[in-house]
Amino acid sequence: MAVSLLCAAPITARAADSVVPPPPPYLGAYQPQGVDEIGLWRDEDEEEKALANSPTLIRDEALNSYVRGLLCNTVGADRCQAARIYILRMPIPNASMAPNGTMRIFSGMFLRTRNEAELATILGHEFGHFEQRHSLSQFKARRSSSDLVQWAQVLAGIGGTRQAFSDFNQLQLSVYGRLSRFGRDQEREADRFSIAYLNGSNMRPQAASAFWQNMMDEATASSRSRGLNKPDFHSVALFASHPPDGERAVSMAVLANPDAQTRDDGAARYRTALASWMPAFLDDQIKLNDFGASDHIIASLAEAGWTGPLWLARGDLYRMRGNPRDLILAAEFYGKALEADPALPEASRGLGLSLLKTGRPSEGKVALRRYLDLKPDAADAGAIRMLASVEE
Amino acid sequence: MKTSMNSRIVHIVLFGVGLLGSVQADANAYREKGKAAIVANSTMTITPPRDWNSLSAKPGKKAESRTLDGDLLNEVTFYGGIAAGEPLIRERSKKREPLPKLSQSALLAELPELLEATYRASKGIGSFTVTGSAAEPFLGQKGIRFTYEYVDRDELPRKGEAHATLIGGTLYMATLDAPRLHYYDAALPEFQALVRSAKL
Repeated sequence: MAVSLLCAAPITARAADSVVPPPPPYLGAYQPQGVDEIGLWRDEDEEEKALANSPTLIRDEALNSYVRGLLCNTVGADRCQAARIYILRMPIPNASMAPNGTMRIFSGMFLRTRNEAELATILGHEFGHFEQRHSLSQFKARRSSSDLVQWAQVLAGIGGTRQAFSDFNQLQLSVYGRLSRFGRDQEREADRFSIAYLNGSNMRPQAASAFWQNMMDEATASSRSRGLNKPDFHSVALFASHPPDGERAVSMAVLANPDAQTRDDGAARYRTALASWMPAFLDDQIKLNDFGASDHIIASLAEAGWTGPLWLARGDLYRMRGNPRDLILAAEFYGKALEADPALPEASRGLGLSLLKTGRPSEGKVALRRYLDLKPDAADAGAIRMLASVEE
Repeated sequence: MKTSMNSRIVHIVLFGVGLLGSVQADANAYREKGKAAIVANSTMTITPPRDWNSLSAKPGKKAESRTLDGDLLNEVTFYGGIAAGEPLIRERSKKREPLPKLSQSALLAELPELLEATYRASKGIGSFTVTGSAAEPFLGQKGIRFTYEYVDRDELPRKGEAHATLIGGTLYMATLDAPRLHYYDAALPEFQALVRSAKL
């Protein structure tokens, strides 16, 4: 049984060399083979039907076609036809790929990627899972592992000695630990595919490493503001599903084609395409009550230049934390938002609320009235009106 | 051998029944109409104009839930006397997943944001919209009524209405959360009647 487990779980060798082979030639539309794969695809087809009706699905045609175009640019126009992209309104930095070609991207991802090349890293990684049919081999490895553990449990029961149960516990730990490592190796392989796609595209592959560096900086900022220890980005936990971020940042930097360093990473195009969604995604993030992470995200997006919505988000973040010093800073940030974009109604609202709470009610009321003038049918107009009235 | 086995089973069954009994005493309760009851460990009392169920699982130390058909279909939550620096509901982890706290300087107009941030952070959801707000007294004090919509973690779109007031910086609030389809509209008049009966 141990042998069959090993056969079912061919552990992929870790890339030690810096030469990433280009992805294998595309073989055209793939159809599932064998009962396991056909069954997996059927399950996913059902899931996909439900997903298409999900109330959290972002159906904006422009955003969807932009992300699809980027995927095609990354993996090639022939390959990308095999995937359907679903963008979901969830404020977490995650994406996933089902074996039948259903790609889910959570909206929180768009705040962490700062240009096309970084987003392409994620799209390429997920597509790599699909192209290598990782779900199928993961399913088979899981089944073999649990088969082995179940039979070992029966044998331990028959043996009935303390030694038998102790051996069983060790075997169980080692089998499931190995299964997790198998999953991590799949992730490493998907990372290598992602870099191979990027190397072969017209985008800058060095962005992949920058993305993971940024994720580590965010986690550090989040922990620091919560008074926790700095997370460990290098050691691998026994049951970790993914390789540690530190390893990913290093291995992707090594695998990126050094000659492609000067390529465009499409930051300006990315900002234009996401401009209409950015305020909403930022709002989703700052209301998660993770001050350190949100502050880091805003600052890292602002590396390319502060905009009205970024100042506004920073103002909201500080105002919601609500310490007296935060309120003074919030008023300053709203002021900068209004300098950048005087027609941003929410900046007037935030400014008004911050001034009211820092002992400047008359100026605050003026700002709130400006908000009501700019957005008379706002959902919170009723509440703001009671604060903005002169006799208050 | 058989007899001792049977008596053991009887003992186990009796023990089980005993356990059930003790759980039941602590479980969800029936709140009869017309009987005033204190809610959410506070000085707030409500006199329900119809029968309600109160749920024993409390969302927080100073919060209490009532329902007609089960909490997933209509849930009324009373928050009684949340002081500055306290979250609305219990935090899963004070250190790793802190929830937003009521601030000392909170304004009535900021209460929708507090509820929104609490829901978003505790449920990990990405869509929550405040759909309307107006000044409306609650507990005989100057207060705010606001409505909202969100997609819960179970992917079911829900609607809600809240009535809140701040008394000396302490928050008193009542909310209704129910699926957008049928249940919200069905429970709204009952909820509003309950809110009107609330007194300090």
